[in-house]
Amino acid sequence: MKYDALVIGGGIAGMETALNLGDMGYKVLLVEKEPSIGGKMILLSKVFPTLDCSSCICTPKMAATSHHPNVTMLTYSEVLEVRRKGKGFKAKVLKKPRYVVEELCTGCQECEANCPVNVGDEYNFGLVGRRAIFIPFSTATPRKAVVDIDNCVLCGICERVCPADAIDFTQKPEEIEVEVNAVIIATGFNLFPGEKKPQYGFGRFPNVINAMQMDRLLSPTRPYNTVLRPSDGKIPDNIAYVLCTGSRDRTVGNPICSQICCMYSIKQAQLLMGALPLADITIYYMDIRAFGKGYEEFFKQAAEMGVQFIKGRVAKIEEKENHNLILHYEDIDNGGVKKETEHDLVVLSVGLLPNPKIAEIFKDEKLELDSLFWVKQVEEDESPARTNIEGVFVAGTAAGPKDIPDSILTAGAASTEAAAYIESSKEE
Amino acid sequence: MSERRIGVYICHCGGNISDYVDVEKVRQVIEKEEGVVVAKTTIFACSDSAQQEMIDDIKEHKLDGLVVASCSPKLHLFTFRGVAERAGLNPYQYVQANIREQDSWAHTDDKEGATDKAIRLVRAAIAKARHSQPLEPIQLQTTQKALIIGGGIAGLRAAISLADMGINVFLIEKEESLGGWVKDFSIMYPNDRSGREIINTLINEVKKRENIVIFTEAELLSKKGCPGNFDVKIKSKGEEISLTVGVIIVATGFDVYKPKEGEFGYGTEGVITLPEFKKLVEHSEGGEIKYNGKPIESITYIYCVGSRQKEGNTYCSRYCCNATMHTSILTSKIDPSIKQFHLYRDIRTYGKYELLYEDACKLGSIFIRYSEDEPPIVKKENGSLRVRVRDLLTEGEELEIETDLVVLVTGMVPRENSSLTKILKLPIGRDKFFNEIHPKLRPVETGVTGVYIAGACQGPKNSTEATASALAAGSKAAGLVKKGYMELEPEVATVDIDKCVWCGKCAEACPFDAIEKRKLADKEVAYVTEALCKGCGACVPVCEQDAIEVKGYENSVIMGMIEQLIREAQDG
Repeated sequence: MKYDALVIGGGIAGMETALNLGDMGYKVLLVEKEPSIGGKMILLSKVFPTLDCSSCICTPKMAATSHHPNVTMLTYSEVLEVRRKGKGFKAKVLKKPRYVVEELCTGCQECEANCPVNVGDEYNFGLVGRRAIFIPFSTATPRKAVVDIDNCVLCGICERVCPADAIDFTQKPEEIEVEVNAVIIATGFNLFPGEKKPQYGFGRFPNVINAMQMDRLLSPTRPYNTVLRPSDGKIPDNIAYVLCTGSRDRTVGNPICSQICCMYSIKQAQLLMGALPLADITIYYMDIRAFGKGYEEFFKQAAEMGVQFIKGRVAKIEEKENHNLILHYEDIDNGGVKKETEHDLVVLSVGLLPNPKIAEIFKDEKLELDSLFWVKQVEEDESPARTNIEGVFVAGTAAGPKDIPDSILTAGAASTEAAAYIESSKEE
Repeated sequence: MSERRIGVYICHCGGNISDYVDVEKVRQVIEKEEGVVVAKTTIFACSDSAQQEMIDDIKEHKLDGLVVASCSPKLHLFTFRGVAERAGLNPYQYVQANIREQDSWAHTDDKEGATDKAIRLVRAAIAKARHSQPLEPIQLQTTQKALIIGGGIAGLRAAISLADMGINVFLIEKEESLGGWVKDFSIMYPNDRSGREIINTLINEVKKRENIVIFTEAELLSKKGCPGNFDVKIKSKGEEISLTVGVIIVATGFDVYKPKEGEFGYGTEGVITLPEFKKLVEHSEGGEIKYNGKPIESITYIYCVGSRQKEGNTYCSRYCCNATMHTSILTSKIDPSIKQFHLYRDIRTYGKYELLYEDACKLGSIFIRYSEDEPPIVKKENGSLRVRVRDLLTEGEELEIETDLVVLVTGMVPRENSSLTKILKLPIGRDKFFNEIHPKLRPVETGVTGVYIAGACQGPKNSTEATASALAAGSKAAGLVKKGYMELEPEVATVDIDKCVWCGKCAEACPFDAIEKRKLADKEVAYVTEALCKGCGACVPVCEQDAIEVKGYENSVIMGMIEQLIREAQDG
């Protein structure tokens, strides 16, 4: 099969790139390793500084991607290798078995209601459980069930209850070969694992959660339909944010700033003031980096709403018997004294880490990464989407931390540069 | 009319609606409405599965009208029109009822009232669906040519990208030469290349392409026509030229903030702005940076001058923290003995630019944090320049710094563009930069179809960000014209020539110059140029003969909707 472009990753940058190229008339293959497209954005509650509901603005992109006449979508699939062929490439894609026939599944969730297995739900960052056969989330695109075979007990109940006879345990992994003129890497980022900062107690203290979990708690598809703390289900009334967790921190090997944490924390703080009007919210920060369009005003607004901002990096967190937490920090703006403050829920504003595994799929030419393992932009000044491999471009956070508007802009850049490359290869 | 077959879907919006509107009650009431064949609730109507369900229902029940009661049509009108289209239903037989922005979100304190209102809004939408007629989009040929306004880094890069996609480009620049601000910049972050070098590379690329035509000392005089086919008039070196282009990219850049006399001592000898200081660094010789012929031994930077103001420029200028770090590193490399004090509010070296901050610290720069309420005071006493500041980082200690040079870190301000704004009808934001359609997902598109914004005219950006946004604007512009045709909304004004007596009132009311007098069958009547009409309806109420209507919004439709809105809720 032949396509003009292969887009790797179906998050916001990958979808935008695929749609741009599709609109220009190019045939695009979009490959997403998860069972649904949407990436990280679809899991967010609202977005800064517009406070648009993330589902509301991301779902149309997902629907548009899945229906675009020029875009073919392969979900639950991974690009195994990309090899040079002429000016273009030959790629091998692994379609992982869903154990569900996509054409037959209606997304009714009958299987999910009857499956006896209960494991942590990765799309809710472990806050609740899910079944071994499941639909990832309510706006999943495609909305098709998938069997998590590692946790499946092979009891066969789903097979019996499925009204569409869509369950098929004989499915095998399938390898697909495609030829493409250009490749766009839009593989996004990894979230900083809170455990790597042991002094904050993430994973040990139940009421220390990460910001992605808080975004789930605030989302319209929130797991508990309210904000509560994990240890005892109490509604928190004194919430702390620890900014720069895993960012600007050489001790964890990540010296750079993650670019989005200040703003998403301020956003969550504003949403919390709406959800829990009586709660106190304190943000412990190093510098507030409200640098984008409308961001400074959004930061000011949070302060006016009563969010407390304390300059000081939290040194460590201790847990009390009632699972409340004591934060140790230096209150820099108020004489630099060492202070201890109690909170009943702590949110770690974790940063973004690179996803360097993408380099492994390029077989003939080595994909260059920068010194911190992000995809290297070799001509950032003139052609920011170019990588060292001719015909391979990068969009979104695969090249470094970015917020959504910057991801959209870089996706636009990748589309344009890929289009120019496709045109030039057609001339020859 | 009772033969119509309408499907109605009421969306929970995952709680956004159903937390305040009893969606099941709405369903039960409207189920009994005339012509309603299918009535369902759905968690997310926009989800793929819900869309598929609608398609199946349309086919199975042979529906000829579709109503989704959900969010604002601004979000999902096109989503559900697409659903109708894929099911073989004319997309203009789809009607959206907004029960979120206009209902659930507005009435969070009154669930019963919100539910009643939802019922009325849905009934009105059903009434519109009952009257709906199939319409076909207006197809227009597009000109595969683009006009780019501004020959700075963004304009140049956008020109190259469009040319490479096979689109002819006319680039107009108001100065004598191309390159904008960047051509005068020396070494820049993040790649330690000079602005001059980058601009020269781009200009060489532009020259290589035959399908780019440059006009210098040029400005836009007028724009007429519609997206895909704009007739523009430009003036270059005194000569007027008419062009037809499909799209326009505005890349007019920014201006630098000029401090007022006396602002942080500006106007006093030794107090200069960051761009002025960068010139001194560029012209340093023999390991010395000189000001007025004297080598400098100490520098005090004051950040956020003209940015993050309480009133005025409330925004952050984004590039300045990074640029100052970079300049300070260059300074240290030229003369490591120069003492550098940075008086800041927050250091915003976002992303990888944090490494610049780290380097500046390592090279000995001293950072002093001042409060917004107590800005530093710059004074000249006995011939020496002194800066007084209270440092929040050292227990609020009062410091007085004697310094050779005060560098005011000035931000970007919007350029004076009023004539261009008027010609293109471009929207301006609160910060006075050009406004995009949606700051998150549509940052280079404007409210004017076919007109895009690139670079710092949309908001402060560094050069690489301006380049990325130029390329993004290029991709959107190409998406519009590359296919060679585009489709326009058919919901436009239409004239009943039997009733029309040509009084001219409709033409006066039309904000888009879409109506003119024409002679048809010995009678003077109003004529609508469909490609220009936006379907706003301004012409309808001024017509005393009721001779002009907007397709899809005919008087009978509107009256039918009003009837449903005011009917008692209980009699469902």
